[in-house]
Amino acid sequence: MSDIEQPAGELWGREGFREDPYVTAETLEEAGDAPAVILPLGAWLGLTEETRNASNRKIGVLVAPGESIEPLLPILDSIPVIALQFPAFNDGRSYSKAELIKNQHHFKGELRAVGDVLIDQVAYMLRTGFDTMKVNHAVTLNRLAGHNLHDVPGYYQPGRGSHTVSGTYSWRRVPGA
Amino acid sequence: MYRYDEFDHAFVSARVEQFKDQVERRLSGELTEEQFRPLRLMNGVYLQLHAYMLRVAVPYGTLSSRQMHKLAHIARRYDRGYGHFTTRQNIQYNWPALKDIPAVLDELASVEMHALQTSGNCIRNVTADHFAGAAADEVGDPRPYAEILRQWSSMHPEFSYLPRKFKIAVTGADRDRAAIQVHDIGLHLKKNEAGELGFAVYVGGGQGRTPMVAKKIRDFLPVEDLLTYTTAIVRVYNLNGRRDNKYKARIKILVHETGTEEITRQIETEWQAIKETDLKLPQQDVDAIDTYFAPPNLVQRPEGWSGLAAARKADHAFSAWVDQNVTPHKNPDYGVVTISLKPIGGIPGDATDAQMDLVADIAEKFSYDEIRVSHEQNLVLPHVAIADLRIVYDLLLTDGLATANAGLITDIISCPGLDYCALATARSIPVAQRISERFGNPERQADIGELKLKISGCINACGHHHVGHIGILGVEKKGEELYQISLGGSGDEICTIGDITGRGFSSEEIVDAIETIVDRYLEIRTDKEETFLTTYRRVGAAPFKDALYSEVANAA
Repeated sequence: MSDIEQPAGELWGREGFREDPYVTAETLEEAGDAPAVILPLGAWLGLTEETRNASNRKIGVLVAPGESIEPLLPILDSIPVIALQFPAFNDGRSYSKAELIKNQHHFKGELRAVGDVLIDQVAYMLRTGFDTMKVNHAVTLNRLAGHNLHDVPGYYQPGRGSHTVSGTYSWRRVPGA
Repeated sequence: MYRYDEFDHAFVSARVEQFKDQVERRLSGELTEEQFRPLRLMNGVYLQLHAYMLRVAVPYGTLSSRQMHKLAHIARRYDRGYGHFTTRQNIQYNWPALKDIPAVLDELASVEMHALQTSGNCIRNVTADHFAGAAADEVGDPRPYAEILRQWSSMHPEFSYLPRKFKIAVTGADRDRAAIQVHDIGLHLKKNEAGELGFAVYVGGGQGRTPMVAKKIRDFLPVEDLLTYTTAIVRVYNLNGRRDNKYKARIKILVHETGTEEITRQIETEWQAIKETDLKLPQQDVDAIDTYFAPPNLVQRPEGWSGLAAARKADHAFSAWVDQNVTPHKNPDYGVVTISLKPIGGIPGDATDAQMDLVADIAEKFSYDEIRVSHEQNLVLPHVAIADLRIVYDLLLTDGLATANAGLITDIISCPGLDYCALATARSIPVAQRISERFGNPERQADIGELKLKISGCINACGHHHVGHIGILGVEKKGEELYQISLGGSGDEICTIGDITGRGFSSEEIVDAIETIVDRYLEIRTDKEETFLTTYRRVGAAPFKDALYSEVANAA
């Protein structure tokens, strides 16, 4: 049995389900020679710049809701994936972090939601800047497979994946690129 | 008032359709109650002691006659013929069947109403001065800004899973009738020296088990920055508010623990980063929303003045009602009428379907089709010609709606308490009823003068007891209901939290205790002009404590 823990669940993005190239590990050593790894924030920050930027593997970072993203902000360009945790569906801190990372600090890599991802939250996650979600909730998987996002036809706030409509208020948006 | 456009209609019907699907899945057993809970809460459906309760949003307390008729219809057809108006300017139905709730939401949508965000850890219904757009002392109508905030906060993707619920109140006059300093965010619309509109911004007020008066963090915020600044506040709260203890999760605790200076710095820093983004309000959008709230074209009715004097002289009861329940309007030919939902011995805030229909009819004929719900659990007709006061009074009288007690001791705010609420630890409605009966004599309560009495049936303080001139908190102690009294609270522009007098009183003792306090006030006030609150602020708690506890000691 491998000691690499592959988190259960399927990776989903706007284009549908996809293969997840990343394994999640506590340390780089634990990840063995996996070509793409996600490490907890503490372990990730402990890596040398050289290791982080090594060309032979991608090393992403997992951030818990209680952890600060401040140390990541100056070096966003060197991070291939940031995974923000939702340990419970009602812990909404990671939505604000997504806004900061994607929209205020223009992170170009993949922003991923992991944890308790429920169907009613998927549209919110996409709009605050998440690219992908690691989903293991059965109902959510079913609905996503059926392309049912529980979304609404219009939004009252600017956000990702929406555009302005002429002839109405500046804060309103409709879905679509 | 604001009217839905196609965008709003499509949004609300999509939400109703989603909820229909969820209710069907719950009724079929596909969803457990536990899984259904967060979904129903998003639609304003609570599970109370005896049944589901549906809380319908009345944005900033403004209703048209058509909407009020619909609320009456819902009470008649889907409930037991009444509804309960709440301190958040909403209405609650206590007995709807779960299977009927999607139909109720359809009915509401047909008159541009919904039950969204009346529950859950999101930005709740935005409240405003119930005299907005009518009061003589108003600087500007707060409702256009409340409407902009309502839209912006609807299904906000970033702010739907906050640490706890979040309440915003807006007032447009120096006299604060919206209790903004006991809200998570309080906005006071005012003009700067250049005559431009903006807001004084207060943060971190609230009641509950840790009552706190909000801190002013900005003296003047230009209107164009309303949404960027609010976003900055809520973002700082969402990221840093406590999530380890639901009783410490409101923004007031964050403000208190972080310190006003530091939290202001964090908010200002965040605001600088987003100040010039898409959320900066273009003046044309503010103007467009403003147009919906343009004052009605009031017909000149100068004849009211001469007629009123004669009508008052002829009928003492009518005259007392005019004194107590009619407030000055911007237009001197008009008055703002408060319809008391506090009949002597009645249940504060309750209205029957027939009463709602009657109010709707009166508003249509005599108040330019407008009705307000006040956070004091009364209804308001904002634009009544002085010439029509007599006929309006007579119509209200036909169904017990002409009680002349607005602002008096029997105009009690009370939470539903243990008669309905799953959280309550004591009954509050029966206490309110007994106090109302004790002081029900019109001359007696008019002599006592302005006195805001508020009752909560548990520490969560839905009855606003902390800001009652006299506050009553019902708790449970060793299986008995015990009522604590606090004095000197106030929710207006000079906001204070009441001081607890000492040990509580049993259900049998509480009404006598209140009478003891009132009698002491009558003895020590300088004259009839000195209200209870002013007297309390002058003399402090000591004379009242003496009266309460020495008397009890003597009796024992």
